[in-house]
Amino acid sequence: MASAYSTHMSRWLSSLPPVEFIIQQLRETLIGSLKCGPIPQHVAFVMDGNRRYARNHKLETVEGHHLGFEALAKILEVCYKSGVRVVTIFAFSIENFKRSKYEVDGLMDMAKTKLVQMSEHGELFDRYGASVRILGDLSLVREDVLEQVNRAVEMTQHNDQAVLNVCFPYTSREEITHSIRETVKEYSTTTTKSDTPKRPFSESHIQRTIRNHQLPSVAEEEPVPKDSLLSLSNADGAVFSSDVDSTTEFSEPDIDGSSTRQPASSHTSHSPSPVLRATKPTTSKKPDASDTFLDPETISAATLTKNTYTGAPPPDGTCPPLDLLVRTSGVQRLSDFMLWQCHENTEIRILDCLWPEFGLMQFLPVLLEWQWRQRRVASGEDAGLKMH
Amino acid sequence: MMGGLRNAGPHADIDKYGRRLSATEREKLLKPYLPPVTIKEPPSEHTNDRSGSFHHRPRVRPAIRQLVYSLVFTVVHLFFSIYIRVRQLYHTIVGRILTAVHYHHRTPELIRRDVKSLSKIPKHLSVMLELSPEGGKKDSLETLLNDACEITAWSASAGVPTLSIYERTGVLKASLPNLHRHISRTLTAYFGPNSPMRPTVSLRAPNMPSYSPPYSPETNSNDASSAPHLNIILIDATDGRQTLVDLTKTLAEMSQHGKLSPADISNDLIDAEINESVMGEPDLLILFGDRIVLDGYPPWQVRLTEIFYAQDNTGGVGYHIFLRALYKYARAEIRFGR
Repeated sequence: MASAYSTHMSRWLSSLPPVEFIIQQLRETLIGSLKCGPIPQHVAFVMDGNRRYARNHKLETVEGHHLGFEALAKILEVCYKSGVRVVTIFAFSIENFKRSKYEVDGLMDMAKTKLVQMSEHGELFDRYGASVRILGDLSLVREDVLEQVNRAVEMTQHNDQAVLNVCFPYTSREEITHSIRETVKEYSTTTTKSDTPKRPFSESHIQRTIRNHQLPSVAEEEPVPKDSLLSLSNADGAVFSSDVDSTTEFSEPDIDGSSTRQPASSHTSHSPSPVLRATKPTTSKKPDASDTFLDPETISAATLTKNTYTGAPPPDGTCPPLDLLVRTSGVQRLSDFMLWQCHENTEIRILDCLWPEFGLMQFLPVLLEWQWRQRRVASGEDAGLKMH
Repeated sequence: MMGGLRNAGPHADIDKYGRRLSATEREKLLKPYLPPVTIKEPPSEHTNDRSGSFHHRPRVRPAIRQLVYSLVFTVVHLFFSIYIRVRQLYHTIVGRILTAVHYHHRTPELIRRDVKSLSKIPKHLSVMLELSPEGGKKDSLETLLNDACEITAWSASAGVPTLSIYERTGVLKASLPNLHRHISRTLTAYFGPNSPMRPTVSLRAPNMPSYSPPYSPETNSNDASSAPHLNIILIDATDGRQTLVDLTKTLAEMSQHGKLSPADISNDLIDAEINESVMGEPDLLILFGDRIVLDGYPPWQVRLTEIFYAQDNTGGVGYHIFLRALYKYARAEIRFGR
């Protein structure tokens, strides 16, 4: 009882306008000063402990999740204000479907309510310039929730300063499986000549252009048609890609797609393949070389990374590697979260507090220690240890 | 500090009078926590208080604020580095004390007594060792071999049936016969040459033929109860991502030849293949570094593995860390999922 009374008192005290103002100013100053050092670009959170918090405080389990959502809102504020670009949160595991139907329904209802609220306040996301992306197997989600998911994603799509990845029905193994499946699909698609859309380039014209380039005097004699100016520049690309494929530099934004296909063109000795690369390949259209496949030997870790849920590039470029993974409630395991992303250089921090208790004061030491290490590495004190 | 917010109770989506909150009311609650309106946004809600004053861009105030921020940053980091040094010192002292208190004296009985009270022992223990960059290559390899042997002896005494040793560069894998020689020497030192309790050891590495020692006693099938058996798996960075990439290559090839459809690729299939070619999921992973960085450890397998590390440990491999990890593991509440 005494503790309940004291929390009541402290709440009352902190809600006094001057106190609230001072606390607010302090928060702002702390967050602002964090910006003076290095800031992790990509932070992931495992929001663990909502249920235990509810149990400890004799609340409904769903109420614990609600408080957890509030803590999330606070921490997102800290992250985005201090300059973190991508935040990934573990909202719902596929394993969670094994919980009681009552709780699963409660969580789904909460997700829906929060998504509806989010859509009502799309402007708030605009202020942070944050877009929402949902990672996971959406086929497992209820129809009405899915509708709200799509609405929220669409509404914030245009923001490009920050990203909020919500892992909704997610497990990392499912993600890796998904990535492998997508890669296999990509490498086992053949398109026959018949259904290739008509391309605006003709092989003979390109050959002529090449000849013209080699013999500039001839080119002067032959007037270049206006409409082929574009094809001329593209043909340049084709010339270079046909001799040394590693030196090609394409101005296409679709770097991922071309880089994986690039070595394949060197393996297949078909003449149309370099030409095909010159035509802007859209993501839906697979390169065809009548009946040949891409060489499986060109599959690399980067291919798999590209096909993971986090691999799909946000609007402003690729997703930065995971710098920091924070897990609350002291459980020292990853629980099938971000396995592919975090097993290299990510620093994993396990905190003893429960997620609803997690706030700036708990996150600050984590950030400070990360900054401290980064600065030490940068200053070379650790250089010998880091290199191996 | 979130008092205003919590009193109104937006998590319940009703205010204190029990009415449902409208969108604007919720926005009002959140307002103090929002960043200032960015310039490109039309200042629709602030027109009232701004219309009276004339417009000018503040220059002095941001500069002062920046100055304050960098000052606070420096001060905070100054105190933080003091704190972290003290913490490191504290952990080092604790580590020294624990090393002195818990020493195994190369006696399996002592180790067994240490772990006797534990409710469970990991069936598959995994440790991460690091080739120290300091010193000569030969010295650091020697240290690595010694560490691996010690851990093997402790695990064997504690009754762990499977041990996997991760070493990023693969140097341990390369010296497999050498390691086996070292291990049997260490086990002899611990258990005595002809003890019936001396565990039998098999050493293997993924994608390498199993190394079966020529003098390994084959009698363990008859009286398995007396002599426990320890499986040791050596893994390195290529058993992580690269294995998954290789699997994808094989699957892609099969799919290209029509032997498999992409829809057949499931969690279970991959799990079975990875289990077969590398190893299963470890129950406990012990890191001997000062923080948790997986450093290329196989991602597929660490899904539910409990990860233990001793904060600020700079002493490398130590028996007290091994013991603390086992204690922590035995006390942990097993929960599947999150």
